[in-house]
Amino acid sequence: MRIGVFICHCGENIGRTVDCAAVAESCGRFPGVAYSIDNKYMCSDPGQNVVKNAIREKNLDAVVVGSCSPHMHEKTFRKACADAGLNPYLFEMANLREHCSWVHEDRIEATKKAIELTRIAVEKVKRNDPLSPIRVPVTKRSLVIGGGISGIQAALDIANAGFEVVLVEKEPSIGGHMSQLSETFPTLDCSQCILTPRMVEVYQHPKIKLLTYSEVENVEGFIGNFKVTVRKKARSIDETKCNGCGNCQQKCPIKKKAYSEFEENLAFRPAIYVPFPQAVPNIPVIDRSVCTYYQTGKCQMCVKVCGREAIMFNQEDSFVTEDVGSIIVATGYKLYTIDKKPDESAIKGYGEYGYGKYKDVVDGLQFERIASASGPTSGEILRPSDKTVPKKIVFIQCVGSRDEAKGFSYCSKICCMYTAKHAMLYKHKVHEGEAYVFYMDIRAGGKGYDEFVRRAIEEDHVKYIRGRVSRIYEENGKYIVKGEDTLSNMPVTIDADMVVLATAMIAQPNAPKLAQTIGMSYDKYGFYNEAHPKLRPVEVSTAGVFLAGACQAPKDIPESVAMASAAASKSLVLFGSDFLEREPTIAKVNESVCAGCFYCQKVCAYNAIEKKEIKDRNGNVVKVIAYVNSGLCQGCGTCNAVCPSKSVELIGFNDEQIYAEINAL
Amino acid sequence: MNELREKAKELLQNGTVKVIIGYVEGTTPNRTKPFIARSVEDADKLVFNKFCVNNLAVYLTRKEFKQNGVVGIVAKGCDVKAIVQLIQENQVNKDDVYIIGMNCSGVVSDLGEEFNENTVAVKCLHCTVHTPHLHHTLLGTLEETPKHEDKNFALMQKIDSMTAEERFDFWEAEFEKCVKCYACRQACPMCYCEKCIADKSVPRWIESSAHKRGNFAWNMIRAFHLAGRCVGCNECERACPAEIPLSLLNRKMGMTAKKEFDYVAGMNLNTPTLVGTYDVNDREDFIK
Amino acid sequence: MEEKKFEPKIAAFVCNWCTYTGADLAGTSRLKYAPNIKMIRVPCTGRIDPVFIIKAFEKGADGVLISGCHPNDCHYNTGNFHARRRWILFKELLSFMGIDSTRLHFSWVSASEGKKFVDVVTEVVEKVREQGRFEKYAKINEEFVIHE
Repeated sequence: MRIGVFICHCGENIGRTVDCAAVAESCGRFPGVAYSIDNKYMCSDPGQNVVKNAIREKNLDAVVVGSCSPHMHEKTFRKACADAGLNPYLFEMANLREHCSWVHEDRIEATKKAIELTRIAVEKVKRNDPLSPIRVPVTKRSLVIGGGISGIQAALDIANAGFEVVLVEKEPSIGGHMSQLSETFPTLDCSQCILTPRMVEVYQHPKIKLLTYSEVENVEGFIGNFKVTVRKKARSIDETKCNGCGNCQQKCPIKKKAYSEFEENLAFRPAIYVPFPQAVPNIPVIDRSVCTYYQTGKCQMCVKVCGREAIMFNQEDSFVTEDVGSIIVATGYKLYTIDKKPDESAIKGYGEYGYGKYKDVVDGLQFERIASASGPTSGEILRPSDKTVPKKIVFIQCVGSRDEAKGFSYCSKICCMYTAKHAMLYKHKVHEGEAYVFYMDIRAGGKGYDEFVRRAIEEDHVKYIRGRVSRIYEENGKYIVKGEDTLSNMPVTIDADMVVLATAMIAQPNAPKLAQTIGMSYDKYGFYNEAHPKLRPVEVSTAGVFLAGACQAPKDIPESVAMASAAASKSLVLFGSDFLEREPTIAKVNESVCAGCFYCQKVCAYNAIEKKEIKDRNGNVVKVIAYVNSGLCQGCGTCNAVCPSKSVELIGFNDEQIYAEINAL
Repeated sequence: MNELREKAKELLQNGTVKVIIGYVEGTTPNRTKPFIARSVEDADKLVFNKFCVNNLAVYLTRKEFKQNGVVGIVAKGCDVKAIVQLIQENQVNKDDVYIIGMNCSGVVSDLGEEFNENTVAVKCLHCTVHTPHLHHTLLGTLEETPKHEDKNFALMQKIDSMTAEERFDFWEAEFEKCVKCYACRQACPMCYCEKCIADKSVPRWIESSAHKRGNFAWNMIRAFHLAGRCVGCNECERACPAEIPLSLLNRKMGMTAKKEFDYVAGMNLNTPTLVGTYDVNDREDFIK
Repeated sequence: MEEKKFEPKIAAFVCNWCTYTGADLAGTSRLKYAPNIKMIRVPCTGRIDPVFIIKAFEKGADGVLISGCHPNDCHYNTGNFHARRRWILFKELLSFMGIDSTRLHFSWVSASEGKKFVDVVTEVVEKVREQGRFEKYAKINEEFVIHE
């Protein structure tokens, strides 16, 4: 063999700890190595040219580059090989930077290890086979999970580019949290006024298939070729018949049994309901847990008033299967609720703030509903307890955020802004009212954001107190807020009429489950992990799956929308070609020795192992053996490990290659 | 004896089976040997007694039988476990085998010996399938199984109580005797690979020379490949000319399967195999 | 004259997506660990075959580290679950055959756990260094060389 070895200094990054020239010299003596040299920057254009020229001039038939992690530059060098006419898979990398020079200090030891790591790569590359990428067709159709503003934006972008979208929303209506907001910072424009047209556009778009009250049940396949099973939860309504007249909702005798989720438990809703008047689609659902018919078998008032015979008490969950090429996950966030439903609460703490005990201690989304013109008070700021106008409101920031002891260590990012907004809205509506904000820091990075907070302080005279609140208790109809002003080092006591807690944004409780269904990873809080924090912020490590909005981390509306458009454009990039090239490093069966025990099939997570009949000349089945569907195999190699006779092997990581690597240790 | 022969004749005559794998008298006393009955005359030679030690399931995976239509097999409970496992591993088609289940209260530990309370095979001491758990027809009557001390288990306990070094020394001494004849593999009904990993030369995971390094590797891999699959017929140990206590390794794996996963190989056609499935709650206290 | 301190040879088999990347992060973060460990990258812990471990001991490894993605975080969904089950069996077998299971280490190290990777490697190196050379295997390895 004629192997070329190229040792990179990476400037000083490798060169400082590893004697690169010595490594190159040693490697030059390995059997099979025809050429070995060190270079300041292998990944630079001149560096790559060194490889290309050597391939041509020295007639190399394999290349090893000792530089950084293959995660960094494997693609770069493969391409360089290909450019010079060498099959890109006759290439291996030795990780001399992340796994050697950066983690070791002793120059002699590090140099020794660098030589060993390169030797392992040389021994492997000797057993590499020339491979060509697998071409698979792309289904030019996208699945968007979550119908909040992120999902809506992503769906519209893709649909407007001319491709079909399946939008799945778990609630009866799309709109998400944005539909609950009163006004939006920093412009104070009405949230619903800007959102509703988008919702309608989604509903009417010929390219968008909307599945509300539905959840993704299963995902199979791979980039370009996903098969998604969606559970359509039983609405108990025939969607094709209902015209959204609303009679059923009005006549439903259940008036004060079920809290409205949309109104954040500040109002009641009937058993048959649409979550809010602008809901899309405008088709109700029946809450079977409170409906009299489901509880007692009697009533059927809705059936009587429905002129369209749309009520279907015996409707069952149904399943639809959709073929899509990409998946955009836009499942959003949940607000950390302290004691609303203690069992569901992610963390315990802040009981001292009296949330759940005192009706007038509310969270951010509840205050949005109180301030909203479409809310339970028609936009008048009234206390939930006695419907009087609060004269003094205390807003507390960072309830759960940036608090490792009682909550989460991360910053929820939007609370500084929406608290300023809440205080402002209050001051605009109750001119004589007093607004106090307890804060840790003001984080108002963003266009017009700091100006907005300054406006709250300077023009609307919201009183900002830097410090934490230790407890809140009720006394003579007032809520006594005990806190500290850390700037003056003085204790502060405020007798408030109402308290608003800016509770943390948290991941959806079922986020890990969906992650496992799709094959994504998530951080310890349940937020989905992007493939790279800087360079691939909307992709996940599973190809063909993209992230949009607050399911990745807390973020505000413009950021969510930007991310959604980015995810949509990533999908559109995929749809730009009819075929997709996939890594050829997949499993392969040696048919002559496979005994057909099918342990490979049992461990395959992708259903990639199929049965194949081997027949003799007369057409009689001689044996049944395993066969790898190259479209489905993802190249994990679990089959290879469980195959007792090694009749199925993973190309690129086969037994011979790994054996050679172990031998070179 | 007669009922077995009558049944065999009937099955061969009415075409239910093409052949019957069974036992006939050996050439010396206290022995039997495997036999393929193809005709009614052959059927008259079949026997079943305390000396029917062989696990005949090993023949079911032979190519010549696979294309033979339905094969009848005279099977003890322990043999049936092997058949169940083979069906689960796609080596035997459920519809291509006719199990003549034999009630069995124990066999002799090795051929040629008198059968008594001291010579009953170890595997019979803990047998849970004296009456085969899967069969098409059931013959024979049960008697009391003689009991004696499980020397095999005692040895296992002794090894367990050793230090790691002592255990290594123990096995090193045992494997020194191994001549790599692979009789253990040939006798095992579960070793049906078309090309055993031990015979592969690219790469050679298991060194072929009969040195104890390769012997260590071979015996480790053999036991591991049988983990959750070995039905405990102990034919490997009986076949071993070097008298290496091979069954200890298999038994250790079997006990681990039982302890960790409550799994016993070859008992139920519908239970997923031990390897090839997992439980999210599998133990991981050993993982950092 | 001071005798040179024993430095163990440790082979590691790590999955590409979690532990290998976690080790990359350890590098990017400039954390330090002993150079005794050499890693072989495989796509998934599911790919790791017990023969790798045996071969590593045959090639003179004093300790072996196996590491991959945390349960439920496997890039290939279930590879690490299948691997874990086989490890339970194999570990028991090795131990029964006298290969001290404390020479064989397992860990879950995610792509974001650069620090944990360093902690694990440091612990393994220290432990094996303390145990010294894997004399038993080294002896049969030496005999084998003569035998051949």
